[in-house]
Formats: sequence, structure tokens, C-alpha cells
Amino acid sequence: MTAKSVSLSLTDRNGARTVAGLMALVIGSILVFGVGLANSQTLHDAAHDTRHSYGFPCH
Amino acid sequence: MIVRLLLAALAAGLIAGMAITPAQYVKTIPLIMQAEAYEDGEAGHHHGTADAGTAEDTESAGHSHDAGAHGSGSEDDGSMLGLGRLGDTILANLVAGAGFALMLAAVALLAGLEFPAGRDGVVRGVLLGTAAWFCVQLAPAMSLPPAVPGFPYADLGDRQAWWMIAVLASAIGVWCLTMRPEWLVKVLGVVIIVAPHVWGSPVPEDLSSEVPAYIASAYAAASLATTLFFWLLLGGLLGFFLSRIPRDAEA
Repeated sequence: MTAKSVSLSLTDRNGARTVAGLMALVIGSILVFGVGLANSQTLHDAAHDTRHSYGFPCH
Repeated sequence: MIVRLLLAALAAGLIAGMAITPAQYVKTIPLIMQAEAYEDGEAGHHHGTADAGTAEDTESAGHSHDAGAHGSGSEDDGSMLGLGRLGDTILANLVAGAGFALMLAAVALLAGLEFPAGRDGVVRGVLLGTAAWFCVQLAPAMSLPPAVPGFPYADLGDRQAWWMIAVLASAIGVWCLTMRPEWLVKVLGVVIIVAPHVWGSPVPEDLSSEVPAYIASAYAAASLATTLFFWLLLGGLLGFFLSRIPRDAEA
């Protein structure tokens, strides 16, 4: 009984880490894409110095 | 727990994104502004003012880059929220910091990295940040150097595609090298890191430029240096924040 509950909570924790990791990956990718790569004139102009400073391909 | 992990990453990213702004204003942005003066062919008239001008000078120099290309003249054009060039850059740095931090945290969580409490967690975070700097900055820069405005450019889509492939390949390669014990996998990791460079990055046909070589080489070093500062700080903060989340936290 004890062993089972321990293994369950371990699975829960790893599951939570995986879910958090995937969520962070998706949200982070969208943010980085918007700042660094999105082909929008407004976004490009606003993020211009940041794009150059981080070495994103620009222009 | 999920919320706490995301908030930890977000906090680290916002702090590091804020911190890189002054570093950029010392190292990279003055060079960008100087290069823009050459790009617009105004270097003869404004000789020496591009880097040391008043706020008004730098403001107009900054936007003349966009004005020349897109026919907009007023100072606020190109600014998303009317924040001006500094405000735009701070906002973009905060978003970039948050984005990079979330992706770095995602890699740490999905790769099963643990951050022990205290100094060890911070050290591990700094190592993670160093690896990220290699993957996102140094590795792509080896074939696609950080460029100031006014440089000769190959097709933007080609360069962006190559850049993403190089970053992804470097990340996979570093994971193979550092997280796997098998020697064959480590060798494969090196091959994956090198592969995009052997394949070759998009290179412009005509390499001549109005921008002086000195500005260009100073800029490449400045870009790598400021981003190294960013990634080390981000990694250390992320390690510290993640190490403070209890292993059995509920929310």
C-alpha cells in the first residue's frame, strides 16, 4: 500500500514536470518566434535592436 | 507545481531580459546606430555624431533606417506602443528573455535535470545557460555571424531556416554529448553539431558593404559577449528559482 502510493506520487510529479516542460516549450517558442523571426513589419521594427543584438537573421 | 515551474522560468527570464538592456546600450546598440548611418549613406554629413549624439540625434538616426526602407518619417513610426526606441527594445528584451527562459526550463524539465538546493543548483543552472549560449549564439554565429544593418544579406527566409536548423542541431548534439554515456552517441552528437556548418549557411553573392569592417568585427564580438552575459545570468537564476520549488509542491 505504502509502496503503491509512493510510486503514484512519483508518477504524478514526473507527469507534472513533463506537462510543465511541454507548456513552457510551446509558450517559449511562440514568444521567441514573435520577437526574433516573425515576418511582420511592426514586430520587426519594434524588436529591431533586440533581433540584431541576439544575432537573429534580420532584414 | 506546473504553475510554480512556469512562474520560476518567467521570473528568471524577465530579470535577465531587463539586465541585458543596459549591456546592449553599452556594447551593441551604439554600433547598430553607427552602421545605420553608413547604411543610409549619411556618414559624410553626420560624421562622428551617430554614436555620441543627443537623444534626439540617436532617435532620428535609429528610425531613419526604417524611414529609408519604408517611407515613414516621424519619430514614433515603427514603435508598436509609442514607447520610442528604448521602450521598444526593453519590451522586446523582456519578451525574448521570457521566451528563452521558458524554452530553457522546458529543456531542463524534459531532459530530467534536477537542481539541488543551494550553490549546486545555481552552478548547474549556469552550466545549462552556457550550453544554451553555445547552441543559440556561438554555434549559429560560426557560419552566420551576427550582422549590423547595412550588411550584404542572403535571402532572409533561407537564413532564418538555416539558423533554426543550426540551433536545433546544436541542442540535440549537446544533449547527446553531455547527457548520454555511450561513446557512440557522443560522437554522433559532434557530427550533428558540425553537420549544418558542413552543409553551409546562405552566403550573399556580393560581400562588399558600406559599413566599415571595424564596426562589423567589433559588433560580432559585442553580440556574443552581451548574450553570454544574458545566458549565464538566465541559467543561474533559473537554477536558483527551480531549486527552491519543493519536490512535492502541489501547485
